[in-house]
Amino acid sequence: MTEATLAEIRSFRRVPLEELYVPGHRTCAGCGPAMIYRLVLKASGRNTILVGPTGCMYVANTSYGCSPWEVPWIHAQITNGGGVGAGIEAAYQVLLRKKKRTGEFPNIIVMAGDGGAADIGLQSLSAAMYRDHDFLYICYDNEAYANTGIQVSPTTPWGAWTTFTPAGPEVPMGHKIWPKDLARMIAAGHPDVKYVATASLAFPLDLLNKVRRGLNTRGAAFVHIQAPCPKGWVFPANMTVDVAKAAVETGMWLLYEISARKHRVTYQPKQRKPVQEYLSMMGRFDHLVPEHIARIQSWADLRCREAGFAPAGSLEQLE
Amino acid sequence: MGKKALLTGVVAVAHAVKMADVDVIASYPIRPYTGVMSELARMIADGELDAEMIRAEGEHSQLSIAYGASAAGARTFVGSSGVGVTYAYEVYSPISGARLPVQMMIADRTLDPPGDFGSEHTDALCCRDQGWLMGWAETPQEALDMCLVYYRAGEDPQVSLPQYACQDGYFVSHITGEVAIPDPAQVREFLPPFRPVRVLDPAKPIAVGPQIEPSMGPPLQYQRYLAMQESRRVLTEAYEEFAGIFGRRYAPLVEAFLADDAEVLLVTSGAHTATARNVVQKLRGLGEKIGLLKLRSIRPFPDRELAAACDGAKVVGVLDNDAAFGISGGGGVLYTEVCTALQGGGLGDRELLGFVAGLGGEVISREEFYWMAQVMLDRARRGPVAASGKRESGGDAGLMARENWKKTFWLPFDMEAGEGAA
Repeated sequence: MTEATLAEIRSFRRVPLEELYVPGHRTCAGCGPAMIYRLVLKASGRNTILVGPTGCMYVANTSYGCSPWEVPWIHAQITNGGGVGAGIEAAYQVLLRKKKRTGEFPNIIVMAGDGGAADIGLQSLSAAMYRDHDFLYICYDNEAYANTGIQVSPTTPWGAWTTFTPAGPEVPMGHKIWPKDLARMIAAGHPDVKYVATASLAFPLDLLNKVRRGLNTRGAAFVHIQAPCPKGWVFPANMTVDVAKAAVETGMWLLYEISARKHRVTYQPKQRKPVQEYLSMMGRFDHLVPEHIARIQSWADLRCREAGFAPAGSLEQLE
Repeated sequence: MGKKALLTGVVAVAHAVKMADVDVIASYPIRPYTGVMSELARMIADGELDAEMIRAEGEHSQLSIAYGASAAGARTFVGSSGVGVTYAYEVYSPISGARLPVQMMIADRTLDPPGDFGSEHTDALCCRDQGWLMGWAETPQEALDMCLVYYRAGEDPQVSLPQYACQDGYFVSHITGEVAIPDPAQVREFLPPFRPVRVLDPAKPIAVGPQIEPSMGPPLQYQRYLAMQESRRVLTEAYEEFAGIFGRRYAPLVEAFLADDAEVLLVTSGAHTATARNVVQKLRGLGEKIGLLKLRSIRPFPDRELAAACDGAKVVGVLDNDAAFGISGGGGVLYTEVCTALQGGGLGDRELLGFVAGLGGEVISREEFYWMAQVMLDRARRGPVAASGKRESGGDAGLMARENWKKTFWLPFDMEAGEGAA
């Protein structure tokens, strides 16, 4: 199927100025997912069809029958982003093949939250990845069901407060389950998926290019983007980028891509900082005691080791 | 011209899907509907049909795929049975709400429990109010024809609604019948290509399914209501044109059999109608004024057509092949629907009776239909019963036996109560 290739964006000066995610929506001040939406559409351009499973980016963007996208958008249930994206892809494949329509094959992008991707919609996501539909599935991960009032999701960090996992004398750490590792699940369990990446809104060029590489892939691609949420994580609205950056600099969010089954770290902090610096930026971790923070540090160290990073405490060994 | 073949209901539908040049098919296996997908897969493998067939991971995804594909302009086909039908429930309203004319074939199967392959209309009827056209085919031929008629009516811009094309599991899906397979040229004449007014196309951006505020709700729902109302006319016209092109004439909504002067009418839908028709004919031969009305369409429900057909009848009985626990009247879904359509409720000069039978896929036997007929004929002879339990015409008739004003019966259990058996 003919499909134009999207070029790598090598500097900020080359980032498209055109805004396809336009003002007028009703997301919170400092909303991480909204910033991601803006970047994703800069990467994909006008030849795009968006699928929006229920979540913050459905509710806050489309209130009152409006929509803030200059490209087609269709609502999906929180359960079925993968299936709806697959259906659109199949339709374009067959309609172009049978010459029932003309034109280019579009960039089809599912923009799902962590609930829609890692929890109730995981089956639909997994099946679509397994079947290798030619579309890009993005999980904007704000680590909770935020739109419904901050409830725990499978990507909520261990030790985080949510309204379903409050800390109290009997449960001093709040949430006490370690998060699902969605990107690695997709990469490890779906042999036909040719491109999997993680991204952060604090690294926009990296994010833009990962979206483009995912779209350029002939077949299914998955990009997992951490999306800080001022309301849900309890930090000031002007700190979204700082929080996202701290997550990467402390090893709480890792940046890598897996292309053609080859794993590549795409950014590695030269001086990985203690997780405390990240945790202390947010009210959702206020209740943690040093023992809890040590456990989270161990978890971050382990994940960094698995990803080919040097552990905290031996930071000077890097480069 | 077309050709004739011996086909099961599922294979007959596969032929219709092929001739409708369906673009996207989403499958998931569950008995008894599965055969339609096996046949479509074979047609694709053998180069007889060019379509994207997606092996979904469940019924919910079958419908989700069809939702996306239809919104992108594809003619779509899915199907299921039993608990598969209910598993996909979440997606039915979004499909009709986005006015996407997806077609779903349902070959009925009981819900669990019991674990049972048998046919029961409960699965489909659970979904009856989701904004989809719905009706039952009695034979493989009707199943093939209904597939084509439903695509045509559902895709009509005045309707733009999805369709449940139902057939009884096994009784239709797995039993061969002689089927006239139409000529592709006839199908092309009857069924134009799917050309939706709005599609997901980057050249003409639209938003499908945004959130609304409550004041936007009434008109949105009212549009679906109006579309369903309008589908009566569109279905009627489609069946009329179908008769002209294919030479097979169907009563579009309600099919009457020996009903003109009938004092007693049995209302049915689906495959059990074949047995019912046979019994009605035999009783006619014995001089009983009994007739039969088959509901070809359940959604839209043919209120006016049914009321007109029942005009003059003293007793109307309704066969329900579904379990609806706690429903008003204690019969099944169709009983309450017919009661509403006839507005009589069994009071006044017409009595309405309900018969729940054939659950779990059990055959509804001739003996059971005779028993139903006897109950209805007895009631017709005795005259109407007032709400108090006293006959209107008989003065003080004393205490009525409880079963004499019983309106609904579960077969075979209520047959032992004595009424009608004599």
